[in-house]
Amino acid sequence: MARKILLVDDEAGFTQLLKMNLEKSGDFEVTIENDSTKAIATARSFQPDVVLLDVVMPGMDGGDVQAQFQSDSILNRVPVIMLTALVDSAELSAGAVAQSGSSIVLPKPVDLSLLLRVIDEATGAA
Amino acid sequence: MEPLTLVESVLDNLPVAVFAKDANDDFRFVLWNKKQEQITTVKASKAVGRDDYDLFSEESADYFRSVDKAVLKRGKLLEVPEEIIEGKDGQDIHLRTVKIPVIEEETGRRLVVGISEDITEQVQSRAKLESLNKNLLETNQELQETQLQLIQAEKLESIGRLAAGVAHEVKNPLALLLLGVDYLSGGIDPADPNVETILTQMREAVDRADRIVRGLVDFSSQRALTREPVQLHAVIDEVLLLVKHELTRSNTKVSVSIPADLPHVFLDLSKFEQVVINLVINAVHAMSESKSPRLEIMARAEKLSDVIKNQGARKYEVFRSGDNVVTLELIDNGCGIDSGDASRLFDPFFTTKATGVGTGLGLSVARKIVQLHGGELHVSDRPDKKGAIAKLILPTKVDTGKVALTSNFPK
Repeated sequence: MARKILLVDDEAGFTQLLKMNLEKSGDFEVTIENDSTKAIATARSFQPDVVLLDVVMPGMDGGDVQAQFQSDSILNRVPVIMLTALVDSAELSAGAVAQSGSSIVLPKPVDLSLLLRVIDEATGAA
Repeated sequence: MEPLTLVESVLDNLPVAVFAKDANDDFRFVLWNKKQEQITTVKASKAVGRDDYDLFSEESADYFRSVDKAVLKRGKLLEVPEEIIEGKDGQDIHLRTVKIPVIEEETGRRLVVGISEDITEQVQSRAKLESLNKNLLETNQELQETQLQLIQAEKLESIGRLAAGVAHEVKNPLALLLLGVDYLSGGIDPADPNVETILTQMREAVDRADRIVRGLVDFSSQRALTREPVQLHAVIDEVLLLVKHELTRSNTKVSVSIPADLPHVFLDLSKFEQVVINLVINAVHAMSESKSPRLEIMARAEKLSDVIKNQGARKYEVFRSGDNVVTLELIDNGCGIDSGDASRLFDPFFTTKATGVGTGLGLSVARKIVQLHGGELHVSDRPDKKGAIAKLILPTKVDTGKVALTSNFPK
């Protein structure tokens, strides 16, 4: 059965190409949400196995979305992988990522083979 | 009291030197008044009956003699605007002299009458003034250069602050490019409909990265102030590109309202961007506690009607009623201005930000740049006290007189 991945990122082009790559690389069903304020609603209806979450987004940042997921009794069990183009380590630790606790953080540009490996580990498919 | 004729009495009390030489008697002096005694420090008793060669250096005497002869030849008054004789201690005495050819009625003697005014002090003050003026021009030149250096230093600082954000904005298109490369490197199937989408996206990503890098390079360029006609909208677009990351991070909603038919303004693009970036970043910092940070950027053309001078707020300082201007306002819903800080906002090194966040040069440099554009920058609380307004008033025509880098910094 295809694993379900939810992409939450305001960069429409990036999500579009990431979806194409993921679907080409494995048996994934990928849904895109470019509006972070709708992430929780989309996740509730899509029921993903893993969430790939951007950090810096207008409306709601990755940390806020992560907090929403954690306070949801079903979604709090869904692993979250954070993707960020932040380069400043001080900014990283001051920002949302530090609050994300157990989340995995991967830098943008994303190494696709690394991402696939992390997805496998997170979804217990490794 | 020694009895004197009326003429002698007048001559000796004149504030100018008067002397006369007899051309028929080898130009020997026949008249030498009191003032002439003071200037030359030679007594009349010593001078009368002697000639220039007895009293002055040969060089000076040659000169005086040639002038005397010229006066006689011309047969009319000759004015010597400035001549120099040696004073007692060898210092120069500057004289303005008129020489008049006279034929004495009763004797028929041909005389040269000289009337000299001591202008040494005037000449010295003039020289001093010229030297001071030269110093002033040099100092002013240095000041202008320092101003431009200060503007550039502040700009480099804001580039430093923007760098992380700009890098973030460049990394996003890079991330997209890498995904495109990953996809295509697996082999290209001509029937795959994704390929066209990917190539289009990649091209757009390159354009986007190029735009932002170019924007940063243009912004950091150092040049003397060069103004060109500019659409304000273009400036705001460039600025919003450079501060996009800061706006996204702070979740600031920006609305821009600039009429399409707004007249061109004459701006130095890079320096003016510096002003607007500074004001935007200030607004973002001021709105850090706001629930929904909102920045309105509005521009309009107007004819100034109520120019108020010296009424507390000192609204318009450069402009007059009837001037056509473009006003640009940045309105935030942040913490506003602490009443105690209002008078110091534009002071150099005044900052309300934590150490390391700002040097306190931003607003003082911003105002300086606006002044160099012949405009004004005012920052105040919103009338409803729900934030602050930064207002720029810019002339719509170039008045080169106002552009000159002449005012002091900091003001």
